[in-house]
Amino acid sequence: MADEVAVTVTINGETVTDRVPARMHAADFLRHRLGLTGTHVGCEQGVCGMCTVLVNGEAVKSCLMFAAQLDGCAVETVESLATGDQLNPLQQAFKDEHGLQCGFCTPGFLMTATALARRGQRLCAAEIREEIAGVLCRCTGYDGIVKAIARHLDETAV
Amino acid sequence: MTETLERRPTVGEERGGQERTSLIGTSAARKEDDRLLRGDGRFTDDVDPLHVLEMAVGRSPYPHARIVSIDVSAALEFEGVRQILVGADVRRMSAPLTVLRPVPGAPKLPYYALAQDVVRYEGEPVVSVVATSRAIAEDALELIDIEYEPIPHVSDVIDAQDPEAPQIHPDLVEGNLMVVNPEGTGDPEARIRSADVVVSGRFRINRVTGLPMETRAIVAEWRPGARELTVHSSTQVPHLVRKQLAEVLGLAESDIRAVASDLGGAYGLKLGIYPEDVLACLHAMALRRPVKWVEDRMEFFRATTHAREATHDYRIAARSDGRIVAITNTYATDMGGWNSGFGSAQLSSVVFTGPYKVSDGYVERRVVLTNKTPIGAYRGYGQPEVNFACERLIDQLARKLGLDPLDVRAANMLRPEDLPWRNPAGAVYDSGDYERCLRMAAEAIGYDAHRAAGRGPRADGRYVGIGLSSFVERTGYASARFLANRGSQYGAHESVTLRANRSGGIDLYTGVSTMGQSSETAFAQIVADVFGCDYDAVKVHAGDTAASPLNTGAFASRTLIAASGALKEASEKLRDKTLRLAAYCLEAPAEDVEIAGAVVRRRDTGASVTLAEVFSRAITGQGIPPEEEPGLESTSHFEPTDAAYSFGTAAALVSVDPETGDFDVERFVMVHDCGVAVNPKIVEGQVRGALVQGLGAALGEELRYDAETGQLVNGTMMDYFAPAAPDVPPIELLHTEVPSPVTTFGVRGVGEVGTIPPAAAIANGICDALADFGVELHTMPLTPEVVWRALQEASR
Ligand code: FES
Ligand code: FES
Repeated sequence: MADEVAVTVTINGETVTDRVPARMHAADFLRHRLGLTGTHVGCEQGVCGMCTVLVNGEAVKSCLMFAAQLDGCAVETVESLATGDQLNPLQQAFKDEHGLQCGFCTPGFLMTATALARRGQRLCAAEIREEIAGVLCRCTGYDGIVKAIARHLDETAV
Repeated sequence: MTETLERRPTVGEERGGQERTSLIGTSAARKEDDRLLRGDGRFTDDVDPLHVLEMAVGRSPYPHARIVSIDVSAALEFEGVRQILVGADVRRMSAPLTVLRPVPGAPKLPYYALAQDVVRYEGEPVVSVVATSRAIAEDALELIDIEYEPIPHVSDVIDAQDPEAPQIHPDLVEGNLMVVNPEGTGDPEARIRSADVVVSGRFRINRVTGLPMETRAIVAEWRPGARELTVHSSTQVPHLVRKQLAEVLGLAESDIRAVASDLGGAYGLKLGIYPEDVLACLHAMALRRPVKWVEDRMEFFRATTHAREATHDYRIAARSDGRIVAITNTYATDMGGWNSGFGSAQLSSVVFTGPYKVSDGYVERRVVLTNKTPIGAYRGYGQPEVNFACERLIDQLARKLGLDPLDVRAANMLRPEDLPWRNPAGAVYDSGDYERCLRMAAEAIGYDAHRAAGRGPRADGRYVGIGLSSFVERTGYASARFLANRGSQYGAHESVTLRANRSGGIDLYTGVSTMGQSSETAFAQIVADVFGCDYDAVKVHAGDTAASPLNTGAFASRTLIAASGALKEASEKLRDKTLRLAAYCLEAPAEDVEIAGAVVRRRDTGASVTLAEVFSRAITGQGIPPEEEPGLESTSHFEPTDAAYSFGTAAALVSVDPETGDFDVERFVMVHDCGVAVNPKIVEGQVRGALVQGLGAALGEELRYDAETGQLVNGTMMDYFAPAAPDVPPIELLHTEVPSPVTTFGVRGVGEVGTIPPAAAIANGICDALADFGVELHTMPLTPEVVWRALQEASR
């Protein structure tokens, strides 16, 4: 089709080149072109945070980006976190603290927290709550999520 | 107070034969977590069959209108469009949607997947398009020319009952009143006439949505030669979806396989089929191509059932010492424009007298049609609504009599020795210690100190109040015989199949889909416990009708109540045969061998054989006793004899600015009893999660309709405010554990309870803080504006 554009993007360390419809958003590209279905879609309006991924290290809502805008970027998704069968420490903290129920929001929180942890700072619970306000969870009431992130930040603070 | 706190549970404690070994009662790691943490969940939109087509649905922009004409010709020409259906097609190709839980005594409404001649709510499906992509299908919708002739509409449940109101189903329902369901015992009117005091109020409950983060979705695939319709669906009840689709599509149940893998939340909203499910199947069958539909969030707000909206006229009559002598509650519950799969909430009636000992009571449920999105089930199913009315009015009663609201509650609560107790609606509360929860909540929130501190503003100028809300919650439900009287289209049982495999593991097959309630974990805990194997050896396969015994499904806080019995029986059958086969192989009597983790061993010599070896022998039939059949598998169905009633009390500490009406929930305490907790961490998660939904509905969530246009005003994620992490007040949870005598293992349901008490507790806290101003609140949600208005009203 005429309104297709070429993109070259590094996804979880691997370089991918593809042609995408100009109006396809990045979340759809990740999910339905690349099969990375761990990134979810809950509103396509930038409100729910289900689609949060890291683009050049920053947590962004991929439903608000066109796939074409990923050209030349490095993208990290939830699929990059575990090594083999081994959950990474953040994932393990979510598991230990019962930070997920249905799990639909989990990738959004994990990627938000991954970016947070790279700052290397400890945060108090109230600060964590503010930092994750862009991702909604309708199941847990947030308590387990906040505990898991607090624990992980404590472990990774420099 | 201390004496009450230390009172031990007396009922249900001594039940013989309670199996309670190592795993039940521990916070075992969740089976569901690893895949979900790694982005390996399988949600419906993750299923992308080859050559899949996508569907988009055109919806009515009007709340009430006649469809004059539909012209699809331009859209049909659009490149990529494969098929378009309109109302007449659907009528030819399918039957109206069937209802799983009819409103008792109400007429059937012919709800087709696409509107016939009249649309009855904004968002009602009118036309469906299938194309090579969703974008193309949506573009094609724009090219469809639909002419509507708007007719007068009605949005409000009280207005709708006016004889002059527009009639929504004039041929079938008179006065927009679907039915009146009365229930009661004794002579409440006589008691009211002779009572020392009567308090009454009209309480308005807001229309809300459960708002799962995953919207609804379906992928339908038809292989005509095989006569096999495979439906991947985000549903709580795959076996019931199969039944309903068979009825509506005119297929045999054997032609349909419904698969629900992971669900991104459901909360009652994903019970049974919706119009779009039928449409996707019709298109898939006509086109012989897989068809996918994923609801977008704008659609969700109009197309997925709403919840709660009701108006309760509640009355309490009492003696001057605070003893309640009668309760009546007449309420109008909104149904929207059609009867959804679970109709409107029915449990307001069942628990209308709360935890109180009242014999003279009357409740009347009036189910009313309006031109709005149909109402359906949502966590709580009527119980939060009636709790708000009842518990608010208890406080008003106390204030009127100059008594303490806690004392009024305590004086009227059923005592452990009163139970089991049949309330005026016929509900039989099984067991519990209601007052103990009340006292614990009061102690945790600092009730006595607050009362002793006297009235008046705090140093920061704010007034502080404490509000209580006590409740009894029905979890699960009584037997199939009870349901049959009400026309329910499902049973009361759960079923499970266990199958040994040659790796030494046990495969567990269940029709209960996975939506965050952690049933995979709890089920595996019970099987590992009763069978005696390792928890890791149990693998749960959930939600596929082709690979699970026919069950009922995950709703009504019922799953574990019914399933625990089936799990126990099936595990025992499997264990007993395993022991016989192992004994044969170890040359010992079956009584002398035991399962210990991955092996079966002789108690005397310690000689052992692995489960993998025993299971392999069973599966091949080689090396088993001659009188035994080969194979190692068991299926059990279990129906509980009755519902189990959870209970508890919530307490909220609230500070209010009397100038602006601004208020803060500074602390929130919940004391709750769900009987034996199979997994305490999961129980806590369920209670917390539901509490935050209850807090959302109490403090701001509301689907608002413009009375003039009949349109939904705030139907987007940007305008509907579900709580985000910073919005949640500090919550403290306490539990008691009175085993239920009516369930296996003494469990009660736990999934819904948190939605019940928040609104009443907070409203009572605000009214307590503002008692000197004479403020009483009757409307949800509670917002600073509502409080400010009430202050203005009171000062007049
Ligand atoms: S899907 Fe991107 S924010 Fe909701
Ligand atoms: S775990 Fe279900 S939405 Fe967060």
